[in-house]
Amino acid sequence: MVTEVQLFTEGGQTWEALAPEITLLLGVVMMLIIPNLGDAKWRIPMTQIRLPVLFGGKRFRATSDPQLPAMLAVATLLTALWQAVMSQSGEGQTWYLTSGSGAEANLMLRVDAFSRLMESVFYVALLLISVAMIDRMPAKRGKSLQMKQMINNRRQADFYILLLMSAIGMSVVTMAMDLFMFFVGLEIASLAIFVLVAFQKETPEGAEGGAKYFIVGAISSAVGLYGLSLLYIWNGNLQLLSNTVTGQIGLAEAWGTMDGVGALPLLGLCFVLVGFAFKVSAVPFHFAAPDAYSGASAPIGGLLATVSKAMGFIGLIRVLAMIASPEAESSTVWMMGLGIISLVTMTWGNVAALGSDNPKRMLAYSSVAHAGYMLAGLTAYGAWIGEGNDATTGAGEWILAAILFHLAVLVAFKLGAFLVLALVELDGQITSSKDLAGLAKRDPVIATAMFIFMLSLAGVPPLAGFMSKFLLIGGIVKMSLVDAASGVAMSDLHWTFWLALAVFLNSAISIFYYLRIGVVMFFDAPPEDRRKPLARAWYIRFTIWACLTGTLLIGLNADFLIEYCQTAAATI
Amino acid sequence: MGAHQNANFRMGEREMILITGFFAIIAILTYMFPSFAETNSDGQIDWITMPLVGFPIIASGVLMAFASMATRRRKRNIEMPIKLASLFFSLFMLAITTSLFFGILESINWDFSTFNSYELEFSYAWNTTLGVNWHVGMDALSFSMVWLTTLLLPIVMITTWEEKAGWYHHPLILMMGGALIGVFVSLDLFMFYVFWELTLIPMFFLILKWGGSERRYAAQKFFIYTFTASVIMLLGIITLYFLNDGSFDITELTRSSQAASDRGDVWLGANMQNALFLMFLLGFLVKLPAVPFHTWLPDAHVQAPTSGSMLLAGVMLKMGGYGLFRFCVSMFPDALVNFQWLLLTIGLVSLVYGSLVCLGQKNLKKMVAYSSVSHMGVITLGIATMEPLGFTAAIFMMFAHGIISPMLFAVCGSFKHHYHTLEIGAMRGLARHSPFLGVFMMFSWMASLGLPLLAGFVAEIAVLIAFWKAFGWWVLLPGLTLAITAAYYLWSMQRTIFEGGLEGELPESLHGESPVDISRWEGSGMMIMALLIVLFGILPWIVFDMMSGYSLAVFTGILGFGGV
Repeated sequence: MVTEVQLFTEGGQTWEALAPEITLLLGVVMMLIIPNLGDAKWRIPMTQIRLPVLFGGKRFRATSDPQLPAMLAVATLLTALWQAVMSQSGEGQTWYLTSGSGAEANLMLRVDAFSRLMESVFYVALLLISVAMIDRMPAKRGKSLQMKQMINNRRQADFYILLLMSAIGMSVVTMAMDLFMFFVGLEIASLAIFVLVAFQKETPEGAEGGAKYFIVGAISSAVGLYGLSLLYIWNGNLQLLSNTVTGQIGLAEAWGTMDGVGALPLLGLCFVLVGFAFKVSAVPFHFAAPDAYSGASAPIGGLLATVSKAMGFIGLIRVLAMIASPEAESSTVWMMGLGIISLVTMTWGNVAALGSDNPKRMLAYSSVAHAGYMLAGLTAYGAWIGEGNDATTGAGEWILAAILFHLAVLVAFKLGAFLVLALVELDGQITSSKDLAGLAKRDPVIATAMFIFMLSLAGVPPLAGFMSKFLLIGGIVKMSLVDAASGVAMSDLHWTFWLALAVFLNSAISIFYYLRIGVVMFFDAPPEDRRKPLARAWYIRFTIWACLTGTLLIGLNADFLIEYCQTAAATI
Repeated sequence: MGAHQNANFRMGEREMILITGFFAIIAILTYMFPSFAETNSDGQIDWITMPLVGFPIIASGVLMAFASMATRRRKRNIEMPIKLASLFFSLFMLAITTSLFFGILESINWDFSTFNSYELEFSYAWNTTLGVNWHVGMDALSFSMVWLTTLLLPIVMITTWEEKAGWYHHPLILMMGGALIGVFVSLDLFMFYVFWELTLIPMFFLILKWGGSERRYAAQKFFIYTFTASVIMLLGIITLYFLNDGSFDITELTRSSQAASDRGDVWLGANMQNALFLMFLLGFLVKLPAVPFHTWLPDAHVQAPTSGSMLLAGVMLKMGGYGLFRFCVSMFPDALVNFQWLLLTIGLVSLVYGSLVCLGQKNLKKMVAYSSVSHMGVITLGIATMEPLGFTAAIFMMFAHGIISPMLFAVCGSFKHHYHTLEIGAMRGLARHSPFLGVFMMFSWMASLGLPLLAGFVAEIAVLIAFWKAFGWWVLLPGLTLAITAAYYLWSMQRTIFEGGLEGELPESLHGESPVDISRWEGSGMMIMALLIVLFGILPWIVFDMMSGYSLAVFTGILGFGGV
């Protein structure tokens, strides 16, 4: 069912469409207010009547509980997740949210299966992170708190506010149909994440990683913004779709109908892509990623590797699939460049991961490699558009669904691996693979979970990572079999077929460093300072269990998720 | 440690719980099995999915989880029940396959084969969006491999009964068995690939935990090598999947290939068929292993524990041969004809090179590993002859090598165990110090070099006859190479068993201890294998007929020039 809504008018439709975002906003506001409630009173001048103003004074015991922000964040995210999932259950709802009516109507946001799917993925990831952070950033209750502990308690609220703010930004990113809106969402999320990366101030690496990530991120945002302004000059607006009412031509149509490739839009597009390439940590823009991943606390590293990357991919899908698609030229202009970038990205990521001993840096480089795999998928998508869409029916949707599937299941095993590191990190910062040594002796269950996450990252069946790699390669192969009738020869295959081979050879390289983690965990003696059993930390353990269950279940039966991803991909 | 642990076994409360719980699980599953077990159109009950594939994997997972939760002291106590349970399970599986073989469970005549038709064929939907089905079934080819696997599992467990950390060791063997049977019975490419990769994981842990000093290097090399080859095979699988409108079904794919060859067409086009053939071939040749891709095998074998080596040589290598028959032969017949020269070259090179390298080996296990390479060359040669007899011989070679090579490695293993060295010539006069080990070593060496009346001879002579029919006097080349095989075995025997052996000439690696003979467990395992080798050497038709029927069916079914 499709509904067109003018923002903040027409009764409750806006509220219904944007229910998860509004919930998140309420959560942020509550988290700002509730810890500050106190018994302060205001005496009306000239009288003895004292009115309670609730702000300031002596804080109430219940509302200033240091664990309250975590609980609030979990409750908020759960509600938002529930709303996002429920709005698509049964007959999927689609809302077009415009800013103004009639001739001034600009399509700002579109709420559909795609945005709801990605929102759910984001919320699940953030939910796991916020649950894990309860143990990672412990709050101290009690009356006689020292100054340091009180400051730590205060940080709780800051952390979860930032987390929820990033959730709001991400939601906007999934829905935006106007590139400017998209950029605003991206920046809301990015700014929150910049701070979250630097949040671990106990170690010098934390501050260093945060600063690096912020500087590089800010520069790439600026470049992206510059690209947006070039596109604006070229087209006069930044709408993705054309507006039949106002007669505004959207970027997609303008690109499709232009005569040859103009220098201005091409330059603008390239600059915009730079901004997204930083987010997905594609190769020439990945240099800050390993420092940021290893400097941040492990759950935040997981956030960078899953959610932040997914945002970048949404941007790439939007821009490449919608704007730069059908043009007058015979093949898509960005395809060759993207293909090269993907090849370089996956190879560089894997080779660099081979040489990094720090598990967090290794995971960062493996995340670079995974970005390369997905970029290979996008390249094949571009090729599919270039071939005129109908040569291989359904290949494009298949590829997009595979990318969405990959982004979704990364939350299970990539985040899971980071959460295991978070558990180990409770005994001290992880700096080398030696810190994982003997994990199987200290805690066989957690070590097995980590090994399963590693195998899943490498793409060993029957785990979720295998399914996602299988779907991705399947899409590329499906695309490259342009003429699937009998009598097809290898030379008829599209060149993206060799990109699929490259993905496979790369995953064969990657198995080496994933296995190394397993070997170290199971067959090395633990280092001197890490002999005791792992901390109890039930919250982190719970999240690891959740990730493990997801990895195994999706690997064994991915039916429902694939179907959901296909529905979502069809709406892009 | 080993032998003394048994003395510590106490029947405690926990052990009672474990044992009763275990049998309760079996009872419940047996009770529920008929409800899982639907009958297919022939009225057969699904004997594969649960008892042969699902049970061993699930049971070993449960047993290992149980063991991992116990303290070190408790582990010693539950070691014996866990090992017994694993043995019981493997015997249970052997009972099922054996009674299937003799037609007791279902009246199946395995000697009679039709191309691309399977007994006990069952299909359950697994992933509907991708069209993946849990599709299982057996024909004579896969059944002979399944029977071999179930035959070997209890033997391996008995031979390595005293291996340390038995609470993980025996369940891992059981899990390995389940995954291997999964490979052989899958009739769905997706499922086939899942099991194909699943076999790597128990073997990886077997090598890593119980292996020799260089085990890390060997285990990782083994994993990476075979994983790389199989991802290229996976690319072939995916391409095949999309070329056939999203079908993973092996029977359907084979059927359309057969239909194309009946029409006189080349299925999928000559170029594409050749490419797919090569992609699959690479995966299988690395697993087999054939010569340019064999370098992982000696490392893996030398470092693997006895049980790992036995399973690796006994069944895991056969996955490659099985795949060659199931895919390269049955699906891509035209490409097979095109690349006959390639298979022939690779087979001959493996055979000759493997034997020559054996001559120069100083390490007993490495020598046996290279002899495996050369025997696997015989399988490739058997296929390359393109004769029904050659195919039969190749399959029989897979079976015979599947019994002989575990015995070779069992002998090497106990040699290593008791003499702490694997160097040929370090220990001389074995027959004097360890007469039983000497006898078994001599017997298995003889079996491997192809002594008449033993199983290996049947396979070799059949390959040579087929080779003669196909290529005439070129048969001298493989024939003479088999003489090299005899040379290196006899030479190593001379330097190990017979020569020297005077009092006070013990090897240095013993550090003055007196040499011991093999233990009861090792002895009984080797004895069983020796009896089987004799049995299949004297009465090869027990399985030979079944394989011969299969080969003829392949020729009449798809290769189309039955018995030129």
